[in-house]
Amino acid sequence: MQRSAYLHFNNDIVDKPLISTLIRKYDIEINILEARITPNEEGSMFIQASGTDENLDKAFGFLVSSGVEVTVRPKRLIWRKEMCTSCGACIAQCLPRALDADPETGIVSYDEDKCIACMLCIPACPYGAVEKSAGA
Amino acid sequence: MSKTYEEINEKIKNGSVVVVTAEEMTQIVKEKGAKQASMEVDVVTTGTFSPMCSSGAIINIGHSTPKIRISKAWINEVPVFCGLAAVDMYIGATEVAREDPLNKVFPGQFKYGGGHVIEDLVRGRDLILEAKSYGTDCYPRRELKTIINIKDMNNAFLLNPRNSYQNYNVAVNVHSKRPLYTYLGILRPNLANANFAGSGLLSPLINDPFYRTIGVGTRIFLGGGIGYVYFYGTQHDPNVPRTEHGIPRGGAGTLAVTGDLKGMSADFLRGVSMTGYGVSLAVGIGVPIPVLDEEMAAFTGISDEEIFAPVVDYSQDYPKAKGEPLGYVSYAQLRSGKIKLRGRTVECASISSLPKAREIALKLKDWIKNGKFELGKPTQPLPTEGSEITCSKLKYRPV
Repeated sequence: MQRSAYLHFNNDIVDKPLISTLIRKYDIEINILEARITPNEEGSMFIQASGTDENLDKAFGFLVSSGVEVTVRPKRLIWRKEMCTSCGACIAQCLPRALDADPETGIVSYDEDKCIACMLCIPACPYGAVEKSAGA
Repeated sequence: MSKTYEEINEKIKNGSVVVVTAEEMTQIVKEKGAKQASMEVDVVTTGTFSPMCSSGAIINIGHSTPKIRISKAWINEVPVFCGLAAVDMYIGATEVAREDPLNKVFPGQFKYGGGHVIEDLVRGRDLILEAKSYGTDCYPRRELKTIINIKDMNNAFLLNPRNSYQNYNVAVNVHSKRPLYTYLGILRPNLANANFAGSGLLSPLINDPFYRTIGVGTRIFLGGGIGYVYFYGTQHDPNVPRTEHGIPRGGAGTLAVTGDLKGMSADFLRGVSMTGYGVSLAVGIGVPIPVLDEEMAAFTGISDEEIFAPVVDYSQDYPKAKGEPLGYVSYAQLRSGKIKLRGRTVECASISSLPKAREIALKLKDWIKNGKFELGKPTQPLPTEGSEITCSKLKYRPV
């Protein structure tokens, strides 16, 4: 199973090696897609976590009990269907193929679960159909 | 056996006309042959939806009191051309808003421009006009700032000097180490992707490669409304080398088109922002092709396997106007999403919308079947192969 999550670390816990605990103790594979530390030393991270459902539940429970604010499957990207013309300019930029065209109809759709929020589609879209969501 | 425009129009009026889309025609010709298809089918509808930069709109906003001879004007901050009569203006699709940072921070976003003004007009939105003049005896006013709306204008015509290219380049980035930001989209380094524009077998001029039925006065689907071909388009070049089926192996024929913007729809006219490049207008065009005889049936039966586009390097060859295409790929290969280039598999992306092209061909088919749209017989054919009309490079002459 795979879960994407947005993690926010207050400055009192940024020095704790929480991610390595996830890997060692809960057998979770972590793909860090984005990580930031703000000037006042708060941290944020966008991750994709893979493991068994049970381990993922435990791992995210551990993060919450350690004081991390966890938003599971955050909406990082807004895709506005009514603005999309299904040209497909985004598709070659989207490596996980979250944006893809139906092979029969050519109609483009967006699969939020596959999106790694790399944002490469935003400059590729000529019609302003994709944008960062507020706070992303 | 051949048909005339008059006979087909009579069938449209009495409801007996047989209309199919170019996709359907390809199947029919494959199954039954061109001769049989020419007897069964009267009209083939085509469609394309793509950014087409040589586009714009002429508007006439009516006179203010006192009158002004507008010499400079901006609509929603986008400069419009005023070198016409007093209150006529031309909104060019690629004009950017006056405070736009352009490419100062590269790549620029180009969020709003002429193409977007035209889309907003069609959507019936209120726009802000700011105009200046030097003042004359007959037109004393020097400044005007007002809200304008298409519904209050005397005239609003789409007037596009070059649309619907017969074929086009497939763009790749061979040499640059960074992404290139082009009018064909973002080209990642090392041949990571190939971008193309065109609707292949649905494309209007692909279905009539020698322009036998398309000319001045041809009635077309334009931007969701009705338009007309008013001339051959700029850079029209009928002498480009062709395949055995007569399909040019690159950009060739073009159309100059016009139509009443008031009858059009934002579903088929959209402002375009190409990151790092600029703004434009995506235009939906559909041309009905009368199946006058067996030859026209064969032309309209073309398949994506038989249409080839040149692959051109946009890191050096295109900007420096040199070099040869890396090769040719068929629309069938492009549609598969991957092409082979220099031993590599390259991802393809389109800048034109295939679903929109299909929607246009189907809508036009519907109009003709229901007697809402008759064919316009061209009064003057477009220059075809062998004519003197060509597209050559600038002859540079130092001043």
